[in-house]
Amino acid sequence: MGQLLAFLVKYRAFFTFLFLELICIWLIVSNNDYQRSAYINSSANFVGSINETSDGISEYFGLRRVNRELAEENARLRAQLLMKSSIPVDSLDQFRIESDSTDSMRYELTSAEVIANSIRNANNFFMIDKGEKDGIKPEMGVINTFGVVGKIRSVSKNFSSGISLLNTRNSFSAKHKTSNRIGTIQWDGRNPKTAQLLYITPDVEVQVGDTIVTSSYNAVFPKDILIGTVESRSIDANNTYLNIGVSLSVDFGKLSYVYIIENIKKAEQDSLSNSNLEDF
Amino acid sequence: MSRNTLILIVSFIILVPLQVLVFRNFVFFNLGFCFIYLLLLLSIPIETSITIGMIIALVAGLIIDLFYQTIGIHASAGVLMMFLKPYWLRINVPRSGYEVSHLPLIKSYGLGWFIVYSLPLILIYSLAALFIEAGNTGLFWIILLKALVTTVVTLFFVVIVQYLFYSNSR
Repeated sequence: MGQLLAFLVKYRAFFTFLFLELICIWLIVSNNDYQRSAYINSSANFVGSINETSDGISEYFGLRRVNRELAEENARLRAQLLMKSSIPVDSLDQFRIESDSTDSMRYELTSAEVIANSIRNANNFFMIDKGEKDGIKPEMGVINTFGVVGKIRSVSKNFSSGISLLNTRNSFSAKHKTSNRIGTIQWDGRNPKTAQLLYITPDVEVQVGDTIVTSSYNAVFPKDILIGTVESRSIDANNTYLNIGVSLSVDFGKLSYVYIIENIKKAEQDSLSNSNLEDF
Repeated sequence: MSRNTLILIVSFIILVPLQVLVFRNFVFFNLGFCFIYLLLLLSIPIETSITIGMIIALVAGLIIDLFYQTIGIHASAGVLMMFLKPYWLRINVPRSGYEVSHLPLIKSYGLGWFIVYSLPLILIYSLAALFIEAGNTGLFWIILLKALVTTVVTLFFVVIVQYLFYSNSR
């Protein structure tokens, strides 16, 4: 016993080291899995408010670009509006009244500002200035005017943290628009401007410049939201799948304003797919 | 000692916010980060016990982690660095030997000694932090490159900050 104690005392620095590293490993394991359910909520508000202040300073430098993007988006929306106003041939068309307005609505958008964002790690996250108070919940999709940004991971009262598309542990269901083939979009951790489209078989005609959009096979995003365009294609060594590099339409280095998509029927969709797990 | 404690507390108050608010937004050559707050850990006196050094690293690392959204990663890398620091100091004794109440910085033992002292420690920190963050070895070469660039950039800033702010404080 005495020898054991002497041993412990002699190497006390090493044992303290082990103990502290174990605390760290426990923190890493419990907090850094990609859903991070055990996010420290009390600190999130403090960290969020500091991030907000620091973002408030850097925001001024991006105002000109944000203005231009908003003007472009306005123009695009106005163009869509003009296309809609065609004169109905049959006047009855005008009087179609919905019996229940919730039936026709599936998605609701909330706008938010990105207050912290990283793009150079292997697993990148961002933080936005809207939280539980504004109706944000985990697993909601995040887009901006250019395309898919990511999804919400955890929520505190006033802030939420999200998983960027630039996260090697995150993947989204995607569709090759011209062939309607479904694949998975995943980032490989290298270049923040390109991601990989996986599981597309070589028989599909994929051209450089083809559009990749979100598929309808998920409850997070509406279908046909832009992800990017095909940048390169090659057949892998086993000739089973194509290696497709997708040039992302969103410039993650310049994220400023985003929209959070709420799928109103997500709970219904999830409960149906969970009740028939073996089918999916 | 009390003067050194004051310097350490002031550098904690300045370096941690500097890291979190300013240097977090900078990425050098698209690869390297700058962990300027390592200057705080590097400047902990030689006679401080290894346990206290590791606890300071844990606390500072956790604060950094809160803002980097990587709870535990920088803390564990910092603790590892502070565990190895005394052993490395014992091997790498300056020609004149250590003097009590001198912080292990450029002004005490010179630039050459400081670079030899801090380069391996920063490298270990960068390797640990970046490899834990990536969580797999699939990105081995790119992470290695990132760690090397991070080490050089961090060392550069750690030296520059000392010449700018620490030289007159004696």
